[in-house]
Amino acid sequence: MKSWGRMLWALLSGPGRKGGIQSWAFSSWPPHSPLAGLVSATQLVSHWTTVFEERGIPEARESSEYIVAHVLGAKTGMSLRPALWTQPLTPQQLQCIQELSSLRLQRMPVQYILGEWDFQGLNLKMVPPVFIPRPETEELIDWVLEEEAQRPCTAGAQDGPVILEVGCGSGAIALSLLSRLPRSQVIAVDKEDAAICLTQENAQRLQLQDRIRIVPLDVTLEKSWTHLLPWGPMDLVISNPPYVFHQDMEQLAPEICRYEDLAALDGGKEGMDVITHILAPSTPAPEGLWVWVKSVFLEVDPRHPELVSSWLRSRPDLHLYLVAVRKDFCGRPRFLHIRRSGP
Amino acid sequence: MGASALLRFPTSLTRTCTVPRGLRRWETLTFLDRETTVIQVQMAGKKSCPSLPALDESELEEQFVKGHGPGGQATNKTSNCVVLKHIPSGIVVKCHQTRSVDQNRKLARKILQEKVDVFCNGENSLVFKEKREAEKKKQERKKRAKETLEKKKFLKEQWELSKSAH
Repeated sequence: MKSWGRMLWALLSGPGRKGGIQSWAFSSWPPHSPLAGLVSATQLVSHWTTVFEERGIPEARESSEYIVAHVLGAKTGMSLRPALWTQPLTPQQLQCIQELSSLRLQRMPVQYILGEWDFQGLNLKMVPPVFIPRPETEELIDWVLEEEAQRPCTAGAQDGPVILEVGCGSGAIALSLLSRLPRSQVIAVDKEDAAICLTQENAQRLQLQDRIRIVPLDVTLEKSWTHLLPWGPMDLVISNPPYVFHQDMEQLAPEICRYEDLAALDGGKEGMDVITHILAPSTPAPEGLWVWVKSVFLEVDPRHPELVSSWLRSRPDLHLYLVAVRKDFCGRPRFLHIRRSGP
Repeated sequence: MGASALLRFPTSLTRTCTVPRGLRRWETLTFLDRETTVIQVQMAGKKSCPSLPALDESELEEQFVKGHGPGGQATNKTSNCVVLKHIPSGIVVKCHQTRSVDQNRKLARKILQEKVDVFCNGENSLVFKEKREAEKKKQERKKRAKETLEKKKFLKEQWELSKSAH
């Protein structure tokens, strides 16, 4: 009994495990070995949790549960059919779990390991280095939907709203708004080709491609906004722009630094670079986009309400004011609603 | 103190609320029901509360796994378990059914709302009523199916008879 236990332990250890136990090459493991029938999902989660913990991998239990559940066809441990937890796993399943867990040992984020993740009930493909949607951002969607629900319906209800998303990444924000606002249209822009491709792919996966225009665009570039004029007036602008303070970038976890596009995070000094470009597009022409935009919703750093507020005061020419600040589920100021005042 | 006071005057009751009995029962529940964990306070007396009480946020206490550190873009966490407690009754619901904190919060509220309803209204709760309705419909369907089957059988026999007569 003891010897198979030791063999199994060695087999399941990732490379470079402490204590110098040699891990066997999985391909040399005979698929019809009697060992195949002896490992259950529960045991495997337990095993990998221990391995992750020993190697200092954050969220050890959550990571191993997500990986095992995924290989068994479920999104979360909780949604896995109880019977599947105790059944023996096939060699193929074991191999898959081994491979995915090795990636986790390299600090790859779970969302990239699984290649997909959920946002506002939608399942989206995830591919490095395109930015992974954060849980807080789901609340931004909720807020926009609440505001939209309060808008009085004009007689002979038109299509709309027309929404511009700056920095669409995987398409999370754009696609969740499209799916919850059946008459809306979205123009989604991003400066990275990988993000453009991924948003396109996710739009098609969700059959929302008819109501979205995905445009490669760097909003910090001079006159970039003029490219958007053909799409007409926008009702609202929404963005989760890069807002990390530049000096904080070095404190980001390896999961983020090694795998995600840092340009999707770095907001420059005081994290304000992209935010200011969204609020003050470099279009000198008065008939620029901004005349038509009524509302802006942003996700920001908790220090930004003050900074944005004072910046807006320094730019009275923009006719923008901070309407409201909303906190995230951790109680941190996280979302801003900015409106246009005046003519 | 009547249980009807439970929901209407939460502050006064939380001081005198009985300690949840049957912690062992809670542990058993964890085992049997992977989705939700419930601690119930046993209260004496009949409950009389408005049907399907809407949950008052001020009577709820919520906990979730908050990542250490700044949150938002600067963090990437996948742990999203929500623990929601209804303070006046002491009922606790734990939800990590989905990958989304947002969804889990909404689900936890829905589950808690039903559990508070059952706690409050017992047999008269929406959950129990729906169960009875479903059971009734099921019985009716069974009955109809049986009748149809018998009718078919009868017709078949008739046809067999008429065939053999020719």
